[in-house]
Amino acid sequence: MRLRDLIVNNRFFKSIYRTGYPDTARKRVMVVINSLALHLHPVRVPKRAVRVTYTWGLGGLSIFMFVILTITGVFLMFYYVPSVREAYWSVVSLDTSVMMGQFMRNMHRWAAHMMVLMVLLHMTRVFYTGSYKPPRDFNWVIGIVLLVLTMLLSFTGYLLPWDQLAYWAITVGAEMGGSAPFVGKQVNIALLGGFEIGQATLIRWYTLHVIFLPLLLIVVVSMHFWRVRKDGNISTPIYPAEAAPEEVRRRLQGSAPANDEMA
Amino acid sequence: MSQEQLPVTEPEQVIEDPGEKVHVWPHLVSIELVGALIFTLLLILMAIFVKAPLVDLANPEVTPNPSKAPWYFLGLQELLLHMHPALAGVIVPTAVLVLLAAIPYIDTKRAGTGVWFYSPKGIPITIFSAIYTTVWNVSLILIDEYLPAGDGSTGIAPLLISWGLPPAVGYVFVPAALMIFIPWSLAVIVKRRWDADTRELMIALYTFFLASFIVLTIIGTGFRGHGMKLMWPWQIEPPIGH
Ligand code: HEM
Repeated sequence: MRLRDLIVNNRFFKSIYRTGYPDTARKRVMVVINSLALHLHPVRVPKRAVRVTYTWGLGGLSIFMFVILTITGVFLMFYYVPSVREAYWSVVSLDTSVMMGQFMRNMHRWAAHMMVLMVLLHMTRVFYTGSYKPPRDFNWVIGIVLLVLTMLLSFTGYLLPWDQLAYWAITVGAEMGGSAPFVGKQVNIALLGGFEIGQATLIRWYTLHVIFLPLLLIVVVSMHFWRVRKDGNISTPIYPAEAAPEEVRRRLQGSAPANDEMA
Repeated sequence: MSQEQLPVTEPEQVIEDPGEKVHVWPHLVSIELVGALIFTLLLILMAIFVKAPLVDLANPEVTPNPSKAPWYFLGLQELLLHMHPALAGVIVPTAVLVLLAAIPYIDTKRAGTGVWFYSPKGIPITIFSAIYTTVWNVSLILIDEYLPAGDGSTGIAPLLISWGLPPAVGYVFVPAALMIFIPWSLAVIVKRRWDADTRELMIALYTFFLASFIVLTIIGTGFRGHGMKLMWPWQIEPPIGH
């Protein structure tokens, strides 16, 4: 208690967190409303919606992976050179001579794989809990866009080390795109920035990877989060009127539906 | 446009059960913090102990064998071995994304929201669909790998070609027909066996997608080696360039 008072009960802390330590119901409301990060949440949520076994926190973990990728990615950008002559060697030097370089590159790589996995699992959780049903129908569509963006981000990053793995994965990918009916040739040229994999390809994918796709993902994720709130927050059970379980029926009998604040 | 002019649809009669509410601080914030800490720790450990791969400098003259895409595309790369590249690389992924996005516009009932696996039939349907899909996928991959096609080559399409049929039959029509027939037959079985409603059919079909993705990704990652031939994981030699 002494220590907590020392940290919490001083002018500086209170200049940041006006409410003080949230130890009363009122302060717990205020702390969420007054904080930029926390106010993504409603003030109060159904108990069952925060149960770990309901959402497994997978949407939150997806965006957390993105945060880690942004931090480690900025570090990598300090050293990485997007030129065909130097890219590979700049990655080698990250691994061998840059302080923490190998660690940051490993972390960036594993977080990228993890993000793809988390997004796929999140989609699967949303599906099997029926959380795509109206009014969340369009947010599911936004989610599909996010899935595509996540994979594109990961794949554009794959080319950047300019090693054999990267080069031939891109070859396979560009051949796939190039086989599109009617527009195959155009798709292929658009992907490669020319007729073969080279400097034009690298700078194109680099730009998409470090600027365009991350910005787009941030915009679309913002729409996603906004809609989660507008669609009535995390889904809770809805039964057909005739077929609600007996226990639910009895509990809801008489008591007006709990329709409290959505602040 | 005034309210009255909007199309009027019969509202669905439902019972909503949000249950008891708790404060986000501390009940949700604490869970988020713990999740973030666990994953930070996990990633730090991985970053310390497992190196991100970096092989030889890119060399257009030397093709690694096999050359594989990252894991989440290996399902598509597996399809590429069995059918026309336009089908495997463009049409199938596009169709999958469009159909996934269409789910909420086909299954539009609100009832069934917020409950894992929907009804007592949900889990049996999921398990059956996963097994049905896996058996089809694995059988077809084995058949296409080993079916003798006469002249020493193997596979369904080469066999059809050796019978004098145009390549499009084996590389486009047969695979396309199978990719429609398998989920369709699954839906028919689930509908008959469980008297399934729309949501339950969606569960069967999503499970078909998910199980296919998992099976193809596992085979593409762990069971394809030199020349993209089927083999056991321990027989796969690292492609040149390591
Ligand atoms: C970058 C990728 C994504 C991020 C960061 C993300 C983030 C989130 C978060 C934080 C939530 C709150 C609930 C939860 O954590 O489960 C959520 C809910 C939701 N997400 Fe996503 N999501 C992503 C991709 C997707 C995808 C691929 C889909 C489906 C195709 C999807 C569909 C939904 C829906 C329908 C909800 C509402 C669920 C409910 O009310 O229970 N999201 N998302």
